[in-house]
Amino acid sequence: MIQLTIDGQEITVPAGTMIVDAAAKLGIDIPIYCYHQALGPLGACRMCLVEVEKMPKLATACTTAVSEGMVVRSKGPAVDKGRRGVLEFLLINHPLDCPVCDKGGECYLQDYTFEYGPGNGRFQEPKIQKLKDGPINEFVLVDQERCVLCQRCVRFMGEYVGEGQLLLEGRGVETVVTTVDHVPATSQFTGNVIDLCPVGALLSAPYHHKGRPWNIEREESVCPHCPVGCTSKVTAREGRVIRMEGRPIPDREWGWLCDRGRFGYDFGYHPDRLLTSWVQGVETSAAMATRQVGQWIQETINQDGGSAVGVIMGGTHTTEEAYQVQRFAREVIGTENLAISRSEAGYLPRALNGTFDDIKKADMVLLLGSDPYDAVPVVHLKLRERWLRYSALKVIGIGPTRLTRDTLPGQDVITAPEQSAAVMALALATQRPEDANVKTLLQALGDFSPSGVSPETLTELGVQLLGAEHLVSLWDGMDPAMGMVLAVLAELREKPTPILPTFGPANWRGWERAGFSAHFEDLTRILEHARDGIIKTLLVFGADLMNEYPDRALVQAAFDRLDHVVVEGVQPPEDSPQVDALLPGATWAEVYGTYINMEARLQVAMASVQPPGQARPVKTYVNTWAHILSHPLAWEEDWEPFDEDSGELLPLHPAPLHVTPLKVPAAIDGDMILITGALIWEMSEPSEILLPRIPALPGRINPEDAKNLGLDIHGGRMRVSQGETSLVTGMSLDPRVPKGLLWLPQRMPGVNTLQPGPIVLSLAKEEVTA
Amino acid sequence: MTQHYLLRNRDVQDIDQFDVYEANGGYAAMKQAFETFKPEELVAMVKKSGLRGRGGAGFPTGMKWGFLPKDGRSRYLVVNSDEAEPGTFKDRELIEENPHQLIEGIIISSYATEASEAYIYCRGEFRRGAEQLKRAVKEAYDHGYLGTNILGTGFSLELKVYRGAGAYICGEESALLESLEGKRGNPRLKPPFPAVAGLYGGPTVVNNVETICNLPPLVTYGAEWYTSMGTDKSPGLKIMSVSGRVKRPGNYEIPLGTPLRTLIEEYAGGLLPGHTVKAVIPGGSSVPLLMPDQLDTPLDYESIVKAGSMLGSGGCIVLDEQVCIVGATARLVKFYREESCGKCTPCREGTYWMTDVLDRVEMGKGEPRDLEVLADVADNIAGKCFCPLGDASLGVLVSALKHFRHEFEAHVAEHTCPMGARLYDTVNH
Repeated sequence: MIQLTIDGQEITVPAGTMIVDAAAKLGIDIPIYCYHQALGPLGACRMCLVEVEKMPKLATACTTAVSEGMVVRSKGPAVDKGRRGVLEFLLINHPLDCPVCDKGGECYLQDYTFEYGPGNGRFQEPKIQKLKDGPINEFVLVDQERCVLCQRCVRFMGEYVGEGQLLLEGRGVETVVTTVDHVPATSQFTGNVIDLCPVGALLSAPYHHKGRPWNIEREESVCPHCPVGCTSKVTAREGRVIRMEGRPIPDREWGWLCDRGRFGYDFGYHPDRLLTSWVQGVETSAAMATRQVGQWIQETINQDGGSAVGVIMGGTHTTEEAYQVQRFAREVIGTENLAISRSEAGYLPRALNGTFDDIKKADMVLLLGSDPYDAVPVVHLKLRERWLRYSALKVIGIGPTRLTRDTLPGQDVITAPEQSAAVMALALATQRPEDANVKTLLQALGDFSPSGVSPETLTELGVQLLGAEHLVSLWDGMDPAMGMVLAVLAELREKPTPILPTFGPANWRGWERAGFSAHFEDLTRILEHARDGIIKTLLVFGADLMNEYPDRALVQAAFDRLDHVVVEGVQPPEDSPQVDALLPGATWAEVYGTYINMEARLQVAMASVQPPGQARPVKTYVNTWAHILSHPLAWEEDWEPFDEDSGELLPLHPAPLHVTPLKVPAAIDGDMILITGALIWEMSEPSEILLPRIPALPGRINPEDAKNLGLDIHGGRMRVSQGETSLVTGMSLDPRVPKGLLWLPQRMPGVNTLQPGPIVLSLAKEEVTA
Repeated sequence: MTQHYLLRNRDVQDIDQFDVYEANGGYAAMKQAFETFKPEELVAMVKKSGLRGRGGAGFPTGMKWGFLPKDGRSRYLVVNSDEAEPGTFKDRELIEENPHQLIEGIIISSYATEASEAYIYCRGEFRRGAEQLKRAVKEAYDHGYLGTNILGTGFSLELKVYRGAGAYICGEESALLESLEGKRGNPRLKPPFPAVAGLYGGPTVVNNVETICNLPPLVTYGAEWYTSMGTDKSPGLKIMSVSGRVKRPGNYEIPLGTPLRTLIEEYAGGLLPGHTVKAVIPGGSSVPLLMPDQLDTPLDYESIVKAGSMLGSGGCIVLDEQVCIVGATARLVKFYREESCGKCTPCREGTYWMTDVLDRVEMGKGEPRDLEVLADVADNIAGKCFCPLGDASLGVLVSALKHFRHEFEAHVAEHTCPMGARLYDTVNH
């Protein structure tokens, strides 16, 4: 530790700390443009000049590390003149268009000029003219004239994200920020440069000229689209959400968002948004519809009892809303048929759940079927940051495709579809053959040997699994058997073995906390009971079962048989003739509530706007129904998902370990096998802003297969057939997908009409459009 | 006039050819180094000789070599041949006329510093120089003086010639390394210094062409010979490039400490008839002016600093009475405005601003307050930039404002250039 004095105050900080960070700990604000803690020092803008005793010149506080006994002065005539000079330099070529700049009022150039700058400019010469409002991509605009060339954006994309799609072009005062080869940036993380830009050079295209700081309101929120639950800020103007920004949290979050999350805030204004109530295909008043549904529930209870009602939770609902629904379901209806809409069959007990803090300590990361870049993008950034800081980080992908990437390198153990759990178990057996749990796992496997994975690979994997000091696993939740293997692994290792579930829905932990079952079997059982006529009325909150449940045929059969299907939500279900009542629901940014993310962390999202049209919070619906059922619910004290002892994280309950033998993976025959996985662009509510970036070619096949099938090198449309069912979709060539496999996003509409397994691929004939 | 060493073979026909170079004693020093010196003995000898970097900063070469950490990582030697300082053209002669001397120096230096890979970063505009070097490097490979196990010594060296893309900033060693790695030529944050984390993060020595060319004669004649010339703190020889209205402009190798007057009058033959010295830029375009009453200043690192300027890279520009100082300053500052890499604010914006103001003053459109603005802008650049380029843009300007303020004022008062010079046409023909 190093002791130094800044402006007369003593402070002790770790060696290597920069003066600017030491000063910040004392509450002394040193102005900066180019420096960012996540990016490290650069020393370009020269804004952070300070006086250091025994140094002949002013020093830049962002590049000067502290030293023992150092005496720093962040104020004084020399510092003031230095900063005034730098600001004057920054302003000579900066256009005076603050009145029409989106950043006006949120701009560090304005703030610092006000605080440290010269009152008047002395520059009389013409300003350099550069490109204004040019595109970085569909979401981000660049105004090169306003740029102060701090390089935060270029360094973030190139060094931090590892996708160097931005660069500095030109030299000296003609230098500009632009994209490589002047083609649009395609990274998942481009929007972050808007937050990083200290001035009005990088702007949000959808927010362009939409608001000014004095007529907007910003509320703390949480991104609702995937289980990462990135901390964010929502900007609203006149009752409309017009922007989302990242929200840094000291020592925890940098405030990064992926583009899907940042720009997908407009789903509440989608033209298809459900704004009115519908009963049996007829648009009706909210009161009529609500009363009608209440009567149906009453009838079902009267005829078959409360347990003939099923309740399914999904969408972007908060934990509190789920709690309100479950109280209504249990106390008023008297049913225990409560489940969460799931797309994957796996489940992770809270006791095994890790946090993002574990990533910061990890020496090894397992990607179990999950490519975080596609599924939970900001976690990819967290992993990459760990790799940048700890280059010895081992990353191992285990799944049917390559899961490591150029931006997160490691090794891949490519397994045949549905054999990953067995591979993991066999790897453990190479090291601990005598362990009782391992023995149980292997009991039924017999002489099964996984295809394409050598005994040496199994041994090496086993050594690494048990040898890692802090092993973080990211699990896609596809195969429940993997969950059991992970539990055994955690039991075997006497070192930290945190697991981060990358599967959704985003708030499943929250709904589980509120009293819904997150087990896939419970959801399946409800659907089967509906299909079999045991459950008569199904209340669906927010979920689009037709697309979310992996077997559409079962949902179809259930809907066909049910007396009443009631769907509350934001978007009408795609194919909804069997839906008896559609009730418009309030959603994210329209209700206050808690989201619980993949870390099991509770985070609050404030309400920014009023629900539009007839849309209303679920509490309104359940209260009305409770009255109709003559069992009004008392809400004197709002229920809090927070727990006094565990605070931000859900309480830990030890989970008993139940190990059952793994089944021998079924041999899958076929020249072409379908596998599915998570793709963030295809998840959660649809957005118009995102449309230009939704992948046109979402399917992925090996370039050799593509060649053999006659697919163009740039990809194209193909027909995927399985028995009587078929689907036409765009395909791209991806060497990360092994030969003989087709990868499709699991949540792309129609994919759940197919089942993972053998398929036939053929070129789609050009469809003639009128 | 004293004997030339680095330039000793300038009159030998075809000295750029391997055979001719070797016939004139070339590569003997290399063999001698292999046979009689251990690497650390060579480093010790260079330290003892007091040889200082000839690129401009004058940092002791032996000390620089001594900074290399002994951690077993493979080392790089990078030769800075990005000679782009206006007024300096010594390295150009060394590489174009006698490339084998440089290669011999590189082999000796690499042997001394235990570098297994060496690069010559050649200024982009030096097309002939780069061709000469590439040809000469190939000849050296062909004769087994480069490559693996050179002359059976067990010492191996790979040498590559890399051509820059035309940026002055790449003469700054860390920007040079960035450029050599294929990146944008912007200077790096120091520390770490190249000796610890240089090319591709490896321990790296970056030396100027002239510095490296000193190695063969040093090995041949020894450290005592070197310290017998020059001054105590600035021993040895320095090549000065003399330009301006002198009778014999060109490169001259002088013992350090030789008076400026001797360089101009004896080596360069004095000014053309009828002309007098108005001012001298003694060490390349980035150093302050010396006035005619300072012509007796000895040309060594210390004396010239005492006189208010710097020896720099040795580019001695003699300005005669016909030169418009405002115009000359405007031209030089414009050079820095063009060459600023744009990384740091004061250099990028300040040189742009100063250029515009100087242009206006030279064109007779200046105002009295422009001179105060110029001085204050210069003060806001001074010592506040990321690398030395920003300060380099001020050397001539600040001294010109001091010594020739009346000339600036005359431009403003008369609304024209009193010398009748056109912009950037610094000499009135």
